[in-house]
Amino acid sequence: MTKCIVPYPENCTGCRSCELICTLHHEKLSNRRKARIRIVKSGVKVDIPVVCSQCTACGDACCLNVCPEEAISLSGEAVIVNEERCTGCGACERSCPFGVIRVFGTAKKCDLCSGDPVCVKFCPYGAIRYEEPKPEQYQKVAEMLEALK
Amino acid sequence: MSSLLHVDLSKGRVRKAPTPPCLISNYLGGNGLAVRLFLESMGPSLDAFHPENILVISPGLFNGILVNTAGKVAFLSKSPLSGTIAESIMGGCIGSELKQAGLDAVVIKGKCSNPSIVSIDNDEVTILDGRSYWGEFSRETTEAVQRDLGDCIVASIGPAGENLVRFASIDCEDRQAGRGGLGAVMGSKNLKAIAVRGDKDIQISQPERLEALDLHWQKIMVNSAAFVEDVKYGTGEFLDWLNKERGVFPTKNWQESVFDDRRQIDPYYWAPKYVSKCKGCVACTKTCGKLFLIQCGPYAGTAVDGVEYETLYSLGGECGNPDIEAVARANELCDQYGMDTISAGVVIGFAMELVQRGILKEQEIGADCRFGDGASVVKMVELIGRRKGMGRLLGEGVQRASEAIGKGSDHYAMHVRGMEPPAYDVRGMRSMALSLMTSPRGADHLRSGAYALDLTGKMWKFSTDRLTNDDKGRMVKELEDFMIVYDSLGVCKFSRKFFWLEAFPDLLDACFGMKVTEANLLLVGERVSNLKQLFNLRSGWTKEAGYLPKRVRKDPIKEGVSEGAVVSDEDMHIMLDDYMRSRDWDEGGVPKKSKLRELGIEDL
Repeated sequence: MTKCIVPYPENCTGCRSCELICTLHHEKLSNRRKARIRIVKSGVKVDIPVVCSQCTACGDACCLNVCPEEAISLSGEAVIVNEERCTGCGACERSCPFGVIRVFGTAKKCDLCSGDPVCVKFCPYGAIRYEEPKPEQYQKVAEMLEALK
Repeated sequence: MSSLLHVDLSKGRVRKAPTPPCLISNYLGGNGLAVRLFLESMGPSLDAFHPENILVISPGLFNGILVNTAGKVAFLSKSPLSGTIAESIMGGCIGSELKQAGLDAVVIKGKCSNPSIVSIDNDEVTILDGRSYWGEFSRETTEAVQRDLGDCIVASIGPAGENLVRFASIDCEDRQAGRGGLGAVMGSKNLKAIAVRGDKDIQISQPERLEALDLHWQKIMVNSAAFVEDVKYGTGEFLDWLNKERGVFPTKNWQESVFDDRRQIDPYYWAPKYVSKCKGCVACTKTCGKLFLIQCGPYAGTAVDGVEYETLYSLGGECGNPDIEAVARANELCDQYGMDTISAGVVIGFAMELVQRGILKEQEIGADCRFGDGASVVKMVELIGRRKGMGRLLGEGVQRASEAIGKGSDHYAMHVRGMEPPAYDVRGMRSMALSLMTSPRGADHLRSGAYALDLTGKMWKFSTDRLTNDDKGRMVKELEDFMIVYDSLGVCKFSRKFFWLEAFPDLLDACFGMKVTEANLLLVGERVSNLKQLFNLRSGWTKEAGYLPKRVRKDPIKEGVSEGAVVSDEDMHIMLDDYMRSRDWDEGGVPKKSKLRELGIEDL
């Protein structure tokens, strides 16, 4: 069964711990702007966890399709980047409708921590859950992001 | 290499210098580093509104890194309210962002000729025209600055700071540097906001170890009883218990100590009804913040991060206000105008008592001002924020207001060193009574956090009887030093019953390869306590100016389980003498040379 990270913005406290633990885990340093998950905030009411999984859920991964080096592929449940092939051209970053694949030298994106996402482990509020895809939650996040534009 | 940033608003000049490593080892960061930087650059005799007053913003040492609940940043200046050091610790993301911009602290002095903002975009620091933001509420200011500058974290003041309300606050992400009037210092400098963007890496000494420690502490916190309480009810969880079982909830400007009409302001009533989700400071998954929403009625549309315990007192019980919706609305307005809810509420309670006693008339005030009337509280907040009617005078704080009003109103002016007291009736809490007097910033609960000791009888390595003077000096001294460690590392003080000091040597080693012991950390706390005292003495601090409000010394508690409790002048002197001895200060509060030498600060 496919699982991915499902966002529940209605539960997100906006604490950004997921961003911090993500960078620590993947980059071995701290820099929330390099996280593969990001929290979009607006005013006191809106905190939106934005993380790649929408595309894997709908099967239409823009980043995978546009990569000229074929450095992005579907591996099990996750869309992953082959950093050796990646030239850092940024085509994927430009194509991603959610801004969750970003280039720092090479492209960085959520790889679901090989099936045990550390951000999910760190969120006691159920604002991000590792579970079966929930299209209505992705839709909600997309609409909330749209409303902020 | 991280740096200290100096901004001179008068000259439009910006200077950056690497942080000397000894400053970090001796002062850590946050509050400790801020005090050290403040002492070297601030002329102690200058008025708080003098352009050369210094405002320091100093991220806690752990800011920018995931250490559980360590998102706290220190703001520090000279207080327009108390004339002493003003320090306020806040959970907004600006501390983390400064660290990611490579900065350990920002030291701001001078005054802009026009309303301005300071923009820190990694290494690029600019002073920008801020006239278009002037007059805006805190939230709208943040939104407008982010619209103009793009992705950044903003700390801003509202109209109260612009209008030099002496208890104006600084807001960042609906978290406030609330106490002591730091927002008015920004206002006096024509500085509307500080915008920060940082995307530099922060290197971690042992990342795998840190991740393991984070997960370890996460598990402990999430599985604790405190977590469930914080998440469900926030900081006011114990409000009913504190009334019923301790009888120390100051009510109607401290005329009463049990609030009979507390049903609605008890989080057990309002949380299920109005809270839509939890709100957390950066790096905190043990969130006491709540998103409080009102859907209908006269205050429909209210959305506030709260209501915290202190505010349930100040805008609730202190004003005899039983209406939680009015409390939440007044809380939101305080945040939007940029005012400390504690001082604002106590000032309003003071005015209400003067009306009750016929010393002031409502016509003179310019609004209804009656105990128990929620609408009065909401209107009074606006009056003060805009400094209209009696708000012009009340924006000066209770001490100055009572001096101007006269007519015996000083008996009803609840303050220590000009700062309005927090939500603990110290007549029945002796450690807290002493803490209000020894706090460097005036009446305050967070320098020692001794309320936890008084209320439960046990805290850290101490146990106590809240109604005696025994050993209070030593305990308060140690607790103050202990709390400075938290405020310097940037760790939330609500985590103290998890971390104590035990957790920090491992965390400091994992993050920075820093080898310290618990004793080293406490010594930092003591060093910083002494530096604060040195500054305060030079700025005219006297022991006498820190005496408890008359009411606390003269009028015993009238009802409830603490009935009869009072702190007499004699009690006050016994505890103060005990404290000075424990600190190795003379009777007048002057640190002995030998103590300063021992702490390595004899030349400061």
